Amino acid sequence: MELNFTKAFVTLGPSLWDGIGIVVYITLIGFALALVVALLLAVGRISKNKVLNRILSFFIELIRGTPLLVQFFYIYYVIPMLLNSVVSLVGIDANIQFKPATCGIIGFAINYGCYMSEVIRAAIMAIDHGQREAGLALGFSERQVLLRFIIPPAIRNSVPVFGNYLVMMIKDTSLLSMISVQELLLRTKTFASQTFMTVEAYTILALFYLVISIPLSQLSKIVERKLKQVG
Amino acid sequence: MAMLEIENLSKFFGDLEVLRDVNISVSKGEVVVIIGPSGSGKSTLLRCINLLEHPTGGEILYQDENITKLGKKVTNYRKRVGMVFQRFNLFPLKTVLENVMYAPMKLNKLPKKEAKDQAMQLLHKVGLENKAEAYPAALSGGQQQRVAIARALAMQPEMLLFDEPTSALDPELVGDVLEVMKQLASEGMTMVVVTHEMGFAKEVADRVIFMDGGYIVEADTPATIFTTPKNERTRAFLARVL
Ligand SMILES: Nc1ncnc2c1ncn2[C@@H]1O[C@H](COP(=O)(O)OP(=O)(O)O)[C@@H](O)[C@H]1O
Ligand SMILES: [Mg+2]
Repeated sequence: MELNFTKAFVTLGPSLWDGIGIVVYITLIGFALALVVALLLAVGRISKNKVLNRILSFFIELIRGTPLLVQFFYIYYVIPMLLNSVVSLVGIDANIQFKPATCGIIGFAINYGCYMSEVIRAAIMAIDHGQREAGLALGFSERQVLLRFIIPPAIRNSVPVFGNYLVMMIKDTSLLSMISVQELLLRTKTFASQTFMTVEAYTILALFYLVISIPLSQLSKIVERKLKQVG
Repeated sequence: MAMLEIENLSKFFGDLEVLRDVNISVSKGEVVVIIGPSGSGKSTLLRCINLLEHPTGGEILYQDENITKLGKKVTNYRKRVGMVFQRFNLFPLKTVLENVMYAPMKLNKLPKKEAKDQAMQLLHKVGLENKAEAYPAALSGGQQQRVAIARALAMQPEMLLFDEPTSALDPELVGDVLEVMKQLASEGMTMVVVTHEMGFAKEVADRVIFMDGGYIVEADTPATIFTTPKNERTRAFLARVL
């Protein structure tokens, strides 16, 4: 077997570089939205409203109990079909479709939002009860106590775990090749099938992922250490 | 006229009766010390006074207003009644200065400059102005508790509740905290103090209340309680702790 990494890299490299732009775009927006979803779910789950609590915990179980890839397919294929048949009931012949990248962002926001909500919830529960009482005793309302004295340290304590989730999300963008997002895996696959440079192509792909994920996990370790210094 | 009037207070946790038929009246400027064995309901009583626990029955009148019926307005009441906890409960991510400044700035809209000046004065009062920029974790327990007292004072409360403020401290650090509390008492602060420091009770209390099993066994001046207690259980308790 003859391997020619240089030749493979000259063609695949620039293509993967373009793909990284899409990966970063989807990951950044997806992760930011996932944080928002996570926070809302966590706050909803700790509320005293039993009905809300049941609904949210059922929803989280639903999402955590099904594969992310299936969720992407669902958002990409099934939901537009359902929407189209609903609007056709009122006589409108729409052809609703989501862009693949949009489906990726929505899927990540929901899926990772559910997982990270459990992280935030656990961090909220772990905050010393005395913090709440000190806040209340000073005259802060329950809501103010939650927003000022409970959630900020809980999020802070969750940051190292969030770092892991961020790296996982970047790797999970490869799943989006299945709904035709021009991310790294799809580009590599196309390249490999055209050139038959399979070994070179997938090795370069793996290296690309490592080049992104290793610095990120190092960064999150540094952040974790910095956070430990105070408090 | 009584500032705080507790009438027939009772508290259940599920089936567990923790307080029964508690009656206390506290006048302005008075220092009331509550003593009693662990589990007798002292903390629960204090927590009922600022409604961290909601009473099951009875009334708590604060300046003639029934505070158990306040609903959301309870926050206004709590601003006027400070509390100091056994485990300090400082905000760990805020500096000492920020801990003291924060509530008056956020709740009373005190301008930052004024809040800071006031906080520095209070830290001076508790002997910790040189720790203003430190984080709580860098302080000893005694120092943390004095910051907690300064934090409570920053809201300019009319009454202070102390729940075993020195019980979590190493013995050599107890004195500094008690000194601050004595000074507050001498300045006329109305205080309800749960403590095992009998020396403090003898010296500072206007009235000592002995609780056992969820109710008040005996309440009298420290002179009477500590020398000629009427109740057998008070005698037994004092024999153990003195
Ligand atoms: N939140 C709670 N839920 C159930 N039981 C409690 C709770 N808080 C206190 N108790 C119980 O109430 C009793 C009195 O407790 P507490 O007021 O803390 O006593 P003290 O402060 O005198 O030691 C104890 O038996 C304790 O276990
Ligand atoms: Mg107690």
